[in-house]
Amino acid sequence: MDPLWRNIFRKTPDEDSLAYFLKHLPTFSELTIRELKLLEDMVHIRNYKADETVFEEGDPGSGMYMIRSGAVAIFAKDHTGVEEEVTRLTSGDFFGETTLTAPAPRTASARTTEATELIGLFRSDLLEMAERSPAVTSSILFGLTRVVSERLQASSNEVRRLKNQLNEQTLAETSKA
Amino acid sequence: MNAPIPSRRGWTRAQVALAFLVLTAAIACGLSVYSSASSLTGLFKTASSVLFLPLLLSLVLSFLLEPLVFQFEKLCSRTVSIFFVYIVMLGFGLLVSLWLLPHWQDFWANLGTDFPRYTAKLIDYLKELMANLHNRFPLIQSYDFPLKARDWAENLLATILAQAPQSAMRIGGLMVLVPLFTFFFLRDGRNILRACVSLSPNRHFEMIHDLSFLISRQLSHFIRGRILEALIVGVVITLGLSFTDIRYAPMLGIFAGVTNLIPYIGPIIGMVPGILIAFVDLGAGGQFWWIVILYILIAQVLIDNFILIPILISRVSNLHPLLVFFAIIIGGKVYGVIGMIIGVPIVSIIKIMILEIRTYRRTFRLPDSALEGERSH
Repeated sequence: MDPLWRNIFRKTPDEDSLAYFLKHLPTFSELTIRELKLLEDMVHIRNYKADETVFEEGDPGSGMYMIRSGAVAIFAKDHTGVEEEVTRLTSGDFFGETTLTAPAPRTASARTTEATELIGLFRSDLLEMAERSPAVTSSILFGLTRVVSERLQASSNEVRRLKNQLNEQTLAETSKA
Repeated sequence: MNAPIPSRRGWTRAQVALAFLVLTAAIACGLSVYSSASSLTGLFKTASSVLFLPLLLSLVLSFLLEPLVFQFEKLCSRTVSIFFVYIVMLGFGLLVSLWLLPHWQDFWANLGTDFPRYTAKLIDYLKELMANLHNRFPLIQSYDFPLKARDWAENLLATILAQAPQSAMRIGGLMVLVPLFTFFFLRDGRNILRACVSLSPNRHFEMIHDLSFLISRQLSHFIRGRILEALIVGVVITLGLSFTDIRYAPMLGIFAGVTNLIPYIGPIIGMVPGILIAFVDLGAGGQFWWIVILYILIAQVLIDNFILIPILISRVSNLHPLLVFFAIIIGGKVYGVIGMIIGVPIVSIIKIMILEIRTYRRTFRLPDSALEGERSH
């Protein structure tokens, strides 16, 4: 087909579209095209320069961010109050999802390391959507809950492993003594 | 790493005095700039006064119609559901105006003859009262209050009659503009708000977005509650008055409903014409006392205070009576009678905004307040 006509009759979400990006996130992978369209209207596209603060530790948290392009470094303060980098996230990653349903202060800081495009999804948008189309909101929340529970499970496993390690260490120390 | 942020509570007297002086100077500068640039502000004022009222009314109307549109939206698209709501409202409006029109014509035709009759009776009563007062306290200088009252009443009637064609034009303009604006507010209101919020800087975007949601939710509750309250009070008074032989029952009901939007003073203003007309036309008999009871006990105490206010109006928007007076006086100075009606709701809206921001800050203890807390430990 002539490229001009192909352009006019194009229907499937192309790779640049926001719906395509959202569909390829693990959180929203099971949403239908219609649900993705509604989600597309709900999220906010924000552009950041390099070294710009997305949020600081202690800021009021009201939603999650997904990285469409660029990179974000997550910092946390240790017990002396010095910031250290916890992790570095890139395109397709998301962060801040714990404050989406329950309002809480941010527990870490997020700063961009290069020019970054973030997609924000906030609690107020979800609450509004829950009134307008509960079915769509529930599938979005299901997707989110799945990912959050996977993360929770992974971290509980990690806690258990560390606990065992600590127990073994203390046992070894006491037997040495 | 963080620079120490000066605590707002720890200002010395010198600093307070300095801040006071700076503020006074700033206000004086602002006033002088305002007066010198009067032609520009005049231009701006005309432009804004033309748009202000239709915009405000459309905003209120869109807040009111939003739940209805939302119900229809479950069946069809938003634009179609707005049209549905418009058709329903048009039908409702037609019915109300068909019922109201004869009353309105009667009222308008007799205004010229009836108004002086009622005021003459009021002035007679005032004269009697003054004479009585003069007899008891001869020391009081004789002040011709009844004459002043008559002048005032004549002026009021003349202004109403002279401005009627002009205000009819304005109302005609509003009839066109308000539905048009309301349509777009209903259809694109969410996108307009989103576009405004998205202009905020990245660092504060999240907070502004959250606050805009919280504030608009509170505002829609407040506006819906107030209008519904006024509507119910108006209907109750119209119904109650229609049991008696009083003239203009629907007009008096509408007047009482509209003035009910103003807290504390509004209901009193709303009951004056009704009680006056009842006193002049019906005499101080059973019907007169029924009307007094209707206005004070049934509409205000029973319906408004015991039923409507606890259900519809949250305590959050309660204003101090002094603030209500200020709002009415300033509103009246800036926008006349309409300003008096909308002054109080606007002050309530500002109060709701400030309270929401404060609750938000308290819930999260923003960084600077958290730092203050740490320092005080």
